[in-house]
Amino acid sequence: MTGSAVDEQPLKRRVGNGVLPRVLGRLASAVLVLFAAASATFFAQALLPGDRATLLLNQRTGQTEARSDEELAPIRAEYGFDDPILVQYADYLGGLLSGRLGVSYQMHQPVEALIAEQIPATLLLTVTALAVAWVLTLVWTIATTRRSSRIDAIGSGVETVAAGLPPYWLGVILLVVFALGLGWFPVIGGSEAARLVLPALTLGIPLAGFMGQATRAAFERALEQPFVTSARMRGMSDLGVRVRHVLRHAALPGITLSGWALGSLISGAVIVETIFARPGIGRVLVSAVNSRDLPVVGGIVIVVALVYVVVNLLVDLAYSGVDPRLATE
Amino acid sequence: MTAAAVSLGIALLAGCSGPQAAVGDERVEGGTIVYGHLQEPPCIFGGWVQQAYLSRQVLDSLVSLEDDGTVVPWLATDWTVSEDQRTWTFTLRDDVSFTDGTPLDAQAVSDNFEYWLDGGNGTVQAYLADYYESSRAVDATTLEVTLSAPYSPLLSVLSQGYFGIQSPTALARGNEANCEQPVGTGPFTVAAWKRGESVTFERNDDYNSAPANARHDGPAYVEGIEWRFLPDSTTRYGSLVSGETDVIYDVPSIEWATASEQFEVQRYITPGRPVALSFNTVEGPFVDERVRQAFAFASDRRAIVETVFRGAVPFEGNGSVSQGTSNYNAEVAAAYPYDPNRAAELLDAAGWSETDASGYRTKDGETLEIVIPYGAGSILTQEGSAVLQAIQQQVKDVGFKVTLIPVTQSELFGGAYSQPDERDIYVGYWTSPTAAILHINYRHHLPESPNGANSTFYNDDELLALIEGANGTTEPSEQERLYAEAQQLISDRAVAVGLYTQTTSLAVGPQLRDVWLEASQGEPVFHDAYFVQ
Repeated sequence: MTGSAVDEQPLKRRVGNGVLPRVLGRLASAVLVLFAAASATFFAQALLPGDRATLLLNQRTGQTEARSDEELAPIRAEYGFDDPILVQYADYLGGLLSGRLGVSYQMHQPVEALIAEQIPATLLLTVTALAVAWVLTLVWTIATTRRSSRIDAIGSGVETVAAGLPPYWLGVILLVVFALGLGWFPVIGGSEAARLVLPALTLGIPLAGFMGQATRAAFERALEQPFVTSARMRGMSDLGVRVRHVLRHAALPGITLSGWALGSLISGAVIVETIFARPGIGRVLVSAVNSRDLPVVGGIVIVVALVYVVVNLLVDLAYSGVDPRLATE
Repeated sequence: MTAAAVSLGIALLAGCSGPQAAVGDERVEGGTIVYGHLQEPPCIFGGWVQQAYLSRQVLDSLVSLEDDGTVVPWLATDWTVSEDQRTWTFTLRDDVSFTDGTPLDAQAVSDNFEYWLDGGNGTVQAYLADYYESSRAVDATTLEVTLSAPYSPLLSVLSQGYFGIQSPTALARGNEANCEQPVGTGPFTVAAWKRGESVTFERNDDYNSAPANARHDGPAYVEGIEWRFLPDSTTRYGSLVSGETDVIYDVPSIEWATASEQFEVQRYITPGRPVALSFNTVEGPFVDERVRQAFAFASDRRAIVETVFRGAVPFEGNGSVSQGTSNYNAEVAAAYPYDPNRAAELLDAAGWSETDASGYRTKDGETLEIVIPYGAGSILTQEGSAVLQAIQQQVKDVGFKVTLIPVTQSELFGGAYSQPDERDIYVGYWTSPTAAILHINYRHHLPESPNGANSTFYNDDELLALIEGANGTTEPSEQERLYAEAQQLISDRAVAVGLYTQTTSLAVGPQLRDVWLEASQGEPVFHDAYFVQ
């Protein structure tokens, strides 16, 4: 109802007194989130049934058998598994506070180095997938919402189907059709543009379906607003109205979802990484969980939590940019 | 649906002619082999076969194994064993250096023995901890290894990738460096490891220590190997079809027939213990030998394996030693054909004569329940799981109630279901080039000297005497007789019965020649390989 007030020229951003406490509050809650993520990971990994020293020894030989105390003693001593669990927890947190994520039990490498090696590929994939999802969502929503009841039905039907596509299935289909069948893209994924297309589509299409559903609903509501009618009365073209006025209102749910999506894309990238043989933290995380490689699992969980925190902060800022009313509240 | 689509897609491409249409026989100098492998291990050197695949490219061993089981020289040119068979003397080559410049000498090899047995390699410990006493350099080229008891399979054991010799200078760098970049005298060196993607090997231009069974001496023909990790089988096979890889490991069963027509395929039947059912002989219904025999008779294991694997993997009836292992007892493999009547008689005789409302056998009100935990996706493939499900269905007719428990990798390797009160049957294999695997799997499991690898918990003095006798004799016919009797005894008492052989495969594109699988563990060898045009 108040939409027309902010319609033509955005209000100047006002930097109020409330900004500093807000930033501090944000930081405090970010630290709390990271602390909780680290603690939950530690206890989940340390307290799962099964002996960690046995697991390490068995994985180093490819066997699954009971081990004697004599065999296990050196490994327990090396990794401090003999210490009381709270001592191990304190050691772990102490390491984190001094900026060390530890050394992988299995790979013998510092966790920081492992993550630094893997994260660029993952971020490249997820950011590209998110961009793909946005492009698909915007084009599709602008093109099909409220055109005619038939186009509208097709538009939302496609979104529903896309949102429900399992990434594994979609990835294999894209691979078989476009890489193996038509030969348009390489089979093996990588960082070059041509090798990124199919992996990004595999993640981006279902996400576009999801974001499209939310955006379409907001788009429909915005089209009913009085400012749309007034813009049309001023002689603006239909496309102009949709792109310049309605979209700004309809984009908010999509932006909210993007924060969530980027986090879930990072943790869900493992399927795509496996199908297209891409490096990335998803695959490292799965193999670390399988071998209960606590420093690696903890490091990756903390990094993913950090990404969530940062992205949600950015989403907040993006909100204020798109809807200046939020900045003044 | 997916599998069908995949097959169709690959067939489509295959139909419209491969990327390399015509390839001649003219050898091309250099080039880099792109190889697609299935699994990526945490380290390049270690006691898991996935590590041996990689370390075989950079490390040479003392000896090499021929396909017929003969042991031939490699870094050791000659060897003798003392009268009491406790002292082995190896003569080493005097003209070989590690790629970090350290000379290969007897002290270096002795350092490796010490490193392995000091915890550097758990699989070496499984083989040698009970036998190895010490080793010393008599002079620069003479190594003396002293054992605590005779161990005739020593040479074939040493031919495995786990026993690759590393530079002592490099070993002193510590775990982090050795994990990523072991240094040997081999045909290639590790140039880079991009985890999750590939290991890059570069040619060792000074290579002069190929094993006696290699197809040529001197440096490798190719400049290097790009060892890609391609865990998804559609991608892996697809990459070969599209020409992005030159050779791949583990051809999917569903593509085996087509691959055999289009590419050079090689199949490796892993010696050692096959994928077998090992019965718990100390707790539960299988304490009674007749119940174990009844279970063995109660399902048509051969038909099940042949149906599930579509002929890509052979049936193996012998439960302790697999075909392709020297001193394999083939007669044992034919024991326990499908005979439900026989199974029923044995169960009646063992007192499981009542039947409950669901058709399961009971004894004193207790149901005949069999618990089988198995490593779904880690130890057993999907096809392996399908074999177990088929057995579960079939033995139900005779009155066995089988409960299958798929176990996650971290649980299983963490020691879940490793105790006698937790399982009735263990399902698993063990790669080994020699029937001496029997000693690992059947050495007594005792409180004072536990043996977790004895998955049947079966302690039998008669059996152990046969195995130790075989390990202790150098007379081939005597050794064969003793190993054969040991397998016979395990079969007669139904301690373990076999299912199928652990089988791996390779498919090589037409542009690449002379890739071969070495005999001890089936590691691909790229030193002799070359491109043609």
